[in-house]
This record gives sequence, structure tokens and C-alpha cells, in this order.
Amino acid sequence: MKPLIVLCCFLLATISYAQEKFLTKQGYTSFFSTSPVEDIKADNNQVLSIIDTSNGALAISILMKSFMFEKSLMQEHFNENYVESDKYPKATFKGQILSFDQLGADEKMVTILGDITIHGVTKNIETQAKIIKTEENISLKGSFPVKVADFKIKIPAVVINNIAETIEVSFELDHKPYKK
Amino acid sequence: MIRKTRIILINVVLIIVLAVAFIGVTLFNKPHINVSEQAPNLSVEAIKVLSDFQNDETKANSKYLEQIIQVTGVISELSLTKEKGVITLSGTDSFGSVMCHLNAEENKKMEALKTGQTIAIKGICTGYLMDVILVKCVILNE
Repeated sequence: MKPLIVLCCFLLATISYAQEKFLTKQGYTSFFSTSPVEDIKADNNQVLSIIDTSNGALAISILMKSFMFEKSLMQEHFNENYVESDKYPKATFKGQILSFDQLGADEKMVTILGDITIHGVTKNIETQAKIIKTEENISLKGSFPVKVADFKIKIPAVVINNIAETIEVSFELDHKPYKK
Repeated sequence: MIRKTRIILINVVLIIVLAVAFIGVTLFNKPHINVSEQAPNLSVEAIKVLSDFQNDETKANSKYLEQIIQVTGVISELSLTKEKGVITLSGTDSFGSVMCHLNAEENKKMEALKTGQTIAIKGICTGYLMDVILVKCVILNE
């Protein structure tokens, strides 16, 4: 009998705990570089993003090798030469959605504040995003600029005109309540 | 005589230039790996890949990243993201799985699948977040 009570308590505890987290494992991120020579775009549909609804904390993990380019040679250069994804396989973001408890089903703009890590370099960023928050879904959508040089990503002189100094990063994250 | 040599020389230079340009363009347009046509570099159980990543991610990264791997496992979830199928293969416990993002052409095959079924999938491993991620997957048996 006793183990059963303990088990029930444990289950109840995990249920109430689980409701506090919203998550997506299939979030979308893309980046876009435009230069007089060419436009380069890469998509990633395997973004992991977790929101803790008790305090609005946001944690995002991105696999660098999951970025898909139009040309395989670009993808190769991106992984091997620029972001060195063997050495730094992930990009991460850890931060906070500000005034999270005042949000609702109406689309609103929120400020997101936190640390982004790409290529082993961490930078503090602040960005605006559109947010819709309901019982079943929290959707975040936005974009922000990233300066390539800020993250110690070296672009060889030969292709310096092909790649923009500042790259636009977009994200679309549809979080669902986490239950397991 | 001089004129003849010059013509030959011009032709040789022209051929070299064309060849270099051709190689350049082919390299630039090099196609993506076609997973369905390639034999897998590794063949493993879903549970094994997952435990490899859970035990030592760095080591697993060097073993699996960018490799075409064939994974066998039990389907725990079938879903669609942006019109592309995603098949989740279960691990030993409730935490972690192998998530296989299908090639767009594979969607039709997914309709015939059910959760609980054992399946073999071939795809490129891009790493581990909460789950092991495979992209450009093709379904091997139906």
C-alpha cells in the first residue's frame, strides 16, 4: 500500500511540474546573408526550445549541422571553415522573456534578453519577438541581426564579398505543453 | 611556322581555361548527398545510438556526426512539421529518442506506418539535443 501512495505522490508531483514547461523539438531557425555577389540562406527545422512558464525563462539549443543550404558546397564550407561545427556542434541561447506573466492569446511584442553562444563565443543580446500565449501553445516569432565578426567567425578574403558582415537570423518556435 | 605554333598555343590555353571553368562550376554545384542511393556507414539499433550519445556526447559526435546511419527501432510517434514527416523511435526510457526527419518524398510511405511497429530508417546524423537527430531520412522497410 505504502509504495502505491508514494508512487501516486510522485506522479502528481511530476504532473504539476510538467505543466510548467512548454517545449518544441521541431522549431525553425534560418539565417540569411545578402551581398552584391549572392544571397545565402540556410534552414534548420530541428531547433529545441524550452520555456519555463513559471518565470518566462527561455532555453534554445541548435545543432549547427542541421542547417541546410541550397548548395552542398556552401554547407561544407559553413561547417568546416566558418562555424567549425566539429569543434562547436551547438549554438545556444539562455535568457528571459520579459513581463511574461502579462501575456495572453492576443499577439504581442515582447523583449527577450539573454546570452547567445555561437562558435564558442557568448554575447549578450536583446531582441523583440511576436508572442502568442494560450493554454496549448506558446508561439514565438522574430528575427535579429548577428555580426559575423562578433563570434570570431573568419571569412577568407577570397569570399569576403560573397558573405554579408551582418547576418539576419529568424526564428519561429511553436511550443507545446511538455508531458511525459 | 610561327603562326602555326601560335594557333596551337591559343587552342591549348583555351582548352585549359574551359576545363578549369567546367571543374569550377561542377564543384560549385556539387549535389547534396542522396541518402537513398548511398549505403549506410553504420548500422545500429535506436537504443544503442541514444545510449552512446547519453553516455559520452563528444565521443558519439565523432562517431556519428554527418554519417549516413541506418537505425532500427520501435516507432513511438509519427508527426508532420512543415509538410515533412518526422518519425520518433523510442529509447529505453521515456527520456530521449531518435528523431528522424524524413525527405519530402518519403511522406507517402509514412501513411502506412503505425506506432509500435519496428522499422529501419536511413539518414544523416546531425547531433544530439534531447534526442538524437537524423535528417534527410528514407524509410527502408514498410
